[in-house]
Amino acid sequence: MIAPKHILGTFDEALASLRNNVLMMSSLTERSLDRAITGLVQRDDELCAIAIADDEEIDQLEKQVDKDGIDLLLRFQPVASDLRRVVSAMKLSSNLERMADQGTNIARRARKLNQHPALPETALIMPMYTHAMAMFKDAIDSYVREDVQLARSVVPRDQPLDEMNSSAGRRLIERMAEDPGQLRGYLNLIFISRCLERVGDHATNMAEDAVYAAAAEDIRHQHSASAANG
Amino acid sequence: MVNIIEMPEITSPTIANQPAPSPEPGVERAMIEIEDVDFSYGTHQVLHDVSLSVPARAVTAFIGPSGCGKTTLLRCLNRMNDLIDGAQITKGSIRIEGTDINASSVDVVDLRRRVGMVFQKSNPFPKSIYDNVAYGLRIAGVTKRSLIDEAVEKSLRSAALWEEVKDRLHVSGYGLSGGQQQRLCIARALAVEPEIVLMDEPCSALDPIATAKVEELIRQLKEQYTIVIVTHNMQQAGRCSDRTAFFYLGRLIEVDDTAKIFSNPGQRQTEEYITGRFG
Repeated sequence: MIAPKHILGTFDEALASLRNNVLMMSSLTERSLDRAITGLVQRDDELCAIAIADDEEIDQLEKQVDKDGIDLLLRFQPVASDLRRVVSAMKLSSNLERMADQGTNIARRARKLNQHPALPETALIMPMYTHAMAMFKDAIDSYVREDVQLARSVVPRDQPLDEMNSSAGRRLIERMAEDPGQLRGYLNLIFISRCLERVGDHATNMAEDAVYAAAAEDIRHQHSASAANG
Repeated sequence: MVNIIEMPEITSPTIANQPAPSPEPGVERAMIEIEDVDFSYGTHQVLHDVSLSVPARAVTAFIGPSGCGKTTLLRCLNRMNDLIDGAQITKGSIRIEGTDINASSVDVVDLRRRVGMVFQKSNPFPKSIYDNVAYGLRIAGVTKRSLIDEAVEKSLRSAALWEEVKDRLHVSGYGLSGGQQQRLCIARALAVEPEIVLMDEPCSALDPIATAKVEELIRQLKEQYTIVIVTHNMQQAGRCSDRTAFFYLGRLIEVDDTAKIFSNPGQRQTEEYITGRFG
């Protein structure tokens, strides 16, 4: 059910503006990651440079979301679902900014890789990228649609991504021993794999924030808490 | 709390022997039990089937739009509505520590000593600060000067006013600022050592500094008193109260811990009211 509008129209406008900026950050982050990976796979330095340059706009949007969020807290003293929306938007923007930083890191590593002959092991990266981006998109969708079920489904998908990262790391270390001449290249691929693993972590955080925004439930660290209790 | 004045014991014939209903979840010990109360002004019913437990030594806030019945219910708690022709509880009961306060044998004056009240607009008597605070004691028959002196100082200290007025106790209460007058009224209510203090929008006419002082006072008073506050200020309810009850159109929509009400209320109407979507 769609919540009725606030009596104060400016409150609705401020909340909408905050949300729009988060969604804009999300689109730019997705594009930046896509450019970075395409730059890696297609060995396109120009795309990598664009991905690196994209980061500036995302950084500025993060500051804008923080400013708007604080302004909203000051002016309207939101409570209940409104407060959760503001807090979640600010946390989402922080995660998006860090996710975009991973895009920048990937692009920088890709440019280094592009200076040398292509490594077939680059193929190890694509499944991880596909998995991480699916998590990212679902986390954002769940936030937009306030879909608690979808958001919850994102969290356990981080584990397979971690395993893919470990597996790729092991394979790349083996290759470093077999082919020490390409050591730097394999090392860069290990870093890229690690960046995608971090993208999954941020997507998980965002999904957790989406659950909090929609259902006022804090599902963070449940696995570690139950492990500690067990 | 040690009684510093010789007040007659509560003489109301209690029906405390009747089993008290179990307090609602989240209320450890209920000081006030409101059960299925209907209330009418003449033929106009303003409260419908209200049931609510007010915990002892805690602050309970009543919130809701104008006309929702929160002040009416507050005034039921010390039978202030008796002063209005045709106003009456038509169903249900209100018990304070097991005593039905509407029983015909209850001494209303004594009830109002046990259940003090602070109003929206400060209303000091046209008397000195000292006499304002001493008024209730004298009405109760306390004559010994030293006891009254002691009670006046203690009440003014409890109301966080003593330091500001100790050198001018015999000047008119009207000479105080609005915030000081409100704290004087609180001191006056505390002088007769009530168990419950009702506050009807006590800060609505005060500036932010005076409001903060009264809110801090409420925080301190709940150590000794059961406090019920009616407020239109959502932030004040959030800051001051332990429990919050939301009323709408004469019905209790929801009551819960304040943190829960203001973070994740259970009822859509509560959510829409506190987030400013209707009012």
